[in-house]
Amino acid sequence: MRRTFPIFLFILTLSLLLTSLSHAQVQTWLRVFEASNVGTGIDSSLRDMGDQLKSIFSFSSYRLLKEETLTLYSNQPVSVPVHPGRSIELTLTGQHKNVAEVIVKIKREQTDILNTKVRLSPGRTVSIGGPKHGEGVIIIALSARF
Amino acid sequence: MKDACSAVSKLLEKYFDQEVTKEERSFVEAHLLDCSACRDALRFMEELRTLIKVPVEEAVQKEDFPWVWQKIERGIRLEERPTFWETLQSWLQISSIFQRKVWIPFVATIAVLLFVTTQFIIKKTPSYSEPYVVEYIESETYNIMIFESEKAKTTVIWLFEVPEQKSSTS
Repeated sequence: MRRTFPIFLFILTLSLLLTSLSHAQVQTWLRVFEASNVGTGIDSSLRDMGDQLKSIFSFSSYRLLKEETLTLYSNQPVSVPVHPGRSIELTLTGQHKNVAEVIVKIKREQTDILNTKVRLSPGRTVSIGGPKHGEGVIIIALSARF
Repeated sequence: MKDACSAVSKLLEKYFDQEVTKEERSFVEAHLLDCSACRDALRFMEELRTLIKVPVEEAVQKEDFPWVWQKIERGIRLEERPTFWETLQSWLQISSIFQRKVWIPFVATIAVLLFVTTQFIIKKTPSYSEPYVVEYIESETYNIMIFESEKAKTTVIWLFEVPEQKSSTS
């Protein structure tokens, strides 16, 4: 018992430490797609957003360009190219229970063309769109997995 | 002689109880050979002892003092009560599964279960109300519109290009 008790304490401490550390990371789902009125249909990868997209936008076609799952660690920026010459940078700045605060920067040639801070929660999608792409517009959808 | 009797009388009880030294014993026995009074005193002691001893021994033989044994047994049990760790250890040693070799995996499993359970409980914690989704927003090259749909749980940030002049909205 004298030997096992310190081991038990060590493992318990380790597990509690891991628990606390696990709070400082969030998995973010990033999807970049083109919305246009050329053609009809929605990519299978966007089907879960189908109802949302139809209720908000009036485009007839949604085509996925890029999809990535990013693990964000506290105050560690993660940059992903989303379009030629453009990239999106995500930084987790805080997490309270199941809400993650993320700074989103869209950069063009190292210049911030958008700087915002959003709060991601389970089931919520934050979509950033507008810039022209081909015959439509580009939309970046962000959601978090806890 | 009186002095000797006085000295012997002080030693007589010790002599009777066989608690005297070798020299004292020799002195008392030498005196008893010549002194009838001291011999009588010694005999009286023997008779008195016999008078007391016999009825006490008879009473002891008849009485088994059960309450004394009960008290002693209770005392033994109290003294032998194991500590918490000893109880736990003995409980864990009941099963052959809990051998010392499997202690570490056992404890590790408990820790993992604790970790997973903690995660599950934390995940189940209801979210607090979200007063806003967009905390701040700024752009030097776009006009911005924010649309929030609570029903669809969607927030849309729409960027409108302004090619001729720079604008800033927040």
